[in-house]
Amino acid sequence: MGHEQDEFADFYRASRDPCLRAVTAVVGDRELAEEQVAEAFTRAWMSWGKVRRHTAPQAWVVRTALNFGVSWWRRRRREVPLADHDAAAPAATNGGVDPALITALRRLPARQREVLALRVFLDLDTETTAKVIGIASGTVTAHLARAVAALRRDLPSANTNATEVIR
Amino acid sequence: MKEHDDIMGQVRESFSGLCMDMPVEQVFAAGRVRRRRRLSGLTAAVAATAGAVAAMTLTAGGPGPARPGNPPAPSPGSVQLAAFTVTSGPGDDNTTLILRKGPQYRLDPSALRQALAKHGIPALVTVGTFCRTKSGETASSGQLKHPPAKLADGADALVISSHDVPPGTRLSIGYFPNQIRMALIKDGAPLSCSSTFQQPAARITPAGTPIRVGKKANDIRMPGAVG
Repeated sequence: MGHEQDEFADFYRASRDPCLRAVTAVVGDRELAEEQVAEAFTRAWMSWGKVRRHTAPQAWVVRTALNFGVSWWRRRRREVPLADHDAAAPAATNGGVDPALITALRRLPARQREVLALRVFLDLDTETTAKVIGIASGTVTAHLARAVAALRRDLPSANTNATEVIR
Repeated sequence: MKEHDDIMGQVRESFSGLCMDMPVEQVFAAGRVRRRRRLSGLTAAVAATAGAVAAMTLTAGGPGPARPGNPPAPSPGSVQLAAFTVTSGPGDDNTTLILRKGPQYRLDPSALRQALAKHGIPALVTVGTFCRTKSGETASSGQLKHPPAKLADGADALVISSHDVPPGTRLSIGYFPNQIRMALIKDGAPLSCSSTFQQPAARITPAGTPIRVGKKANDIRMPGAVG
């Protein structure tokens, strides 16, 4: 147990930030993402014997966090709001992330966001991303291309950068 | 993929200040709590399973250990096994009823009646008494096609076909410590019940209410008569 604990602790320390960033990029809310990632790491620890053998354990955590979020929303959707005070509070600061980027990410379809997050924050290659999500490699490439194109269009700073690159 | 690097780099850079502060000890603590919950859930499940097994044993009335002669009376608080088993088959239309006798077995007449009803067999189950249609009011057949057979452990097994209990009749089962009596009775007909097979003790009205007849009959108890 001691060895496993050390191994998991190393994994956790190395993975928590990239996983949080990936999930935040997909869900667009830091607090919610933190809750989901914490739950996913707990599950990862509970199933560490299996997770450690996974092709991409960090991706397992991100997928678990996102799935947990989906079931959380499903549960919440069944609940009846009591009054205005039950409405979700506006997202907090999101850890200093550019609000324009968060808005632009939110405009992307969920699958594109997920592909982008796995590629950007976990450095997964196309094949692994495809395997983790369960889609074809070509689809991953297409999703990424569309996501990047949309962000390039929506983010003024990206356009500036692109212009600079062209120059 | 190089053509995406600028945007991907920008996204990466933008999120770089986002850090998770939760220490790993919190994950371990959450895992411990969850394991404890699982364990307690498992314990509860094991207890429930044990209870279910016990209940099944009670319902199934599995054969007890062979006891030559008269088995000793169970001590107070000892587990008593259900005295009956009702199963489907053999064949499509048949139901097998196994009844066991002895102090270690307890017959819940209501449970047996309900079990038989689930198999489509209406029954009147009585303990310590046996009810028949009064003479002259005999049910169409009056007798079951297949008489009870003795099993190796002394239990009585009765195969009842759905045709054995025609509409308008019920199976009357009288459960005694040392014997079991069965007959078909007519619905609505006055019944004659006795605490011994020979001696009629009480009549049961079509509604199933026992009518005590005579002084002697007042002494006759009909525990657990269920119709």
